Amino acid sequence: MGVTILTQFPVENKTGPQIIELLSKRISALGAVPQGQFLVDCETYSSVPALGHQRTVHVLHNSEQPATVFALLETGTKTIPLATDGLFDLLMMKMSSFYQSKKQTKAESKGPRFEIGDFCVKLGSVTVSSNFKGVLVEVEYKPCVVPAMCWDLIMEFMQGFLGSLGPTTPPSFLQNRMQDIYSPIDTIQQYLEHFTLFRKSPGPALIMRPQ
Amino acid sequence: MAALGTAIDSLTAAMKCNIIPNQEYLLQGSVLDQYVEVLLHRLRGLCDNVDSGPETFNDHELCYSLRANNVNTPMALPLRVRRALDVSDAPFQLRYVGQQELGDKNRPTVVRSCIDMACSSTIIEFLSELGCRLDFEYIARGYMFRKGRMKVTVSKIFKMNGIANKPGEGVEAISQSYLVELSVQAPSGQDAIAEDMRVFAEQLRPLVQLEKIDYKRLGNMM
Repeated sequence: MGVTILTQFPVENKTGPQIIELLSKRISALGAVPQGQFLVDCETYSSVPALGHQRTVHVLHNSEQPATVFALLETGTKTIPLATDGLFDLLMMKMSSFYQSKKQTKAESKGPRFEIGDFCVKLGSVTVSSNFKGVLVEVEYKPCVVPAMCWDLIMEFMQGFLGSLGPTTPPSFLQNRMQDIYSPIDTIQQYLEHFTLFRKSPGPALIMRPQ
Repeated sequence: MAALGTAIDSLTAAMKCNIIPNQEYLLQGSVLDQYVEVLLHRLRGLCDNVDSGPETFNDHELCYSLRANNVNTPMALPLRVRRALDVSDAPFQLRYVGQQELGDKNRPTVVRSCIDMACSSTIIEFLSELGCRLDFEYIARGYMFRKGRMKVTVSKIFKMNGIANKPGEGVEAISQSYLVELSVQAPSGQDAIAEDMRVFAEQLRPLVQLEKIDYKRLGNMM
């Protein structure tokens, strides 16, 4: 487990599979080896009115941590992260009279996964309730756990296959956490940030880059 | 490589195969402080962990409930958090315990639904912000034994006295006895285990009488 940077790759006039193929070719040309598939998904639940002021619980899974369920509770003023195990999904079902899922918002990012030296690269095609929304590129640098110490390296690596479309500043979620020890839930927070933007956007062509 | 299934798919599959341990079979009793050593001695002889001796624990348990102010149908979802005071890097434990099943009167143990999961220490803040209310809390200290799938705990219950973060000092025992619990968590429908528990409980008589406790009747008494 190292530091992970998530960035959106603009779709422009291409389809999702075309972009994934293009990026797969570029990363393979650098010597990356395909290592299976990955999947990150997110289901969002809202509190019922009887529970008082509105709160939102996002429940996310990441195939990289298959035995963990991540939950992020948004109260309106703060976000509380929680890492727990697989049965949390069962508990959410028990809570269905207090927190109800918004079915139209189920988001996921899935696609091929590559390994290249100390890096792990994932090319995710994002759908929100089965509609294609865009492409997310995830790069993990495995030997380091402090973002500030490897950000420049990751940025340079990403520019190597994303060109000028690679990120030039750290993701906003990480900007005031650059000196902290990175953990898997930080990756989840980055995914949630992007999923929230994708949910708000009307279609793949009109997405603004979240920088 | 085949495409990945979602976590919900694997959970649904696990539920269909009935491999999730979501039922708790439970018997409870108590023993006076002056006789607890005799009981521990007996348990040491009967249980699996003979060589290593019983495991000790010192846990803080917080009991929450999630309630909605519906006029017609008041709803409450009980949730418990347990954290080890003696092992600082152990994960916190979150537990949902349902109503006990009425079922057959001749069934030897209480059967109730439960979901247990390990979680990060943020669970306390998470539950408070989720809308849960802290109903009560206590400290449980004692010994844990194993016998096959069965778990036996002998624990002393202490009041918190408002000092939540200082283990050891400032706690007051709520009674002059120890709580004894015999439990198994299993997937639903494995009623044979209840019979094993009844037989095991027989072996602890007359030191401790392990029984099905009817919480509804206790509620009326208070």
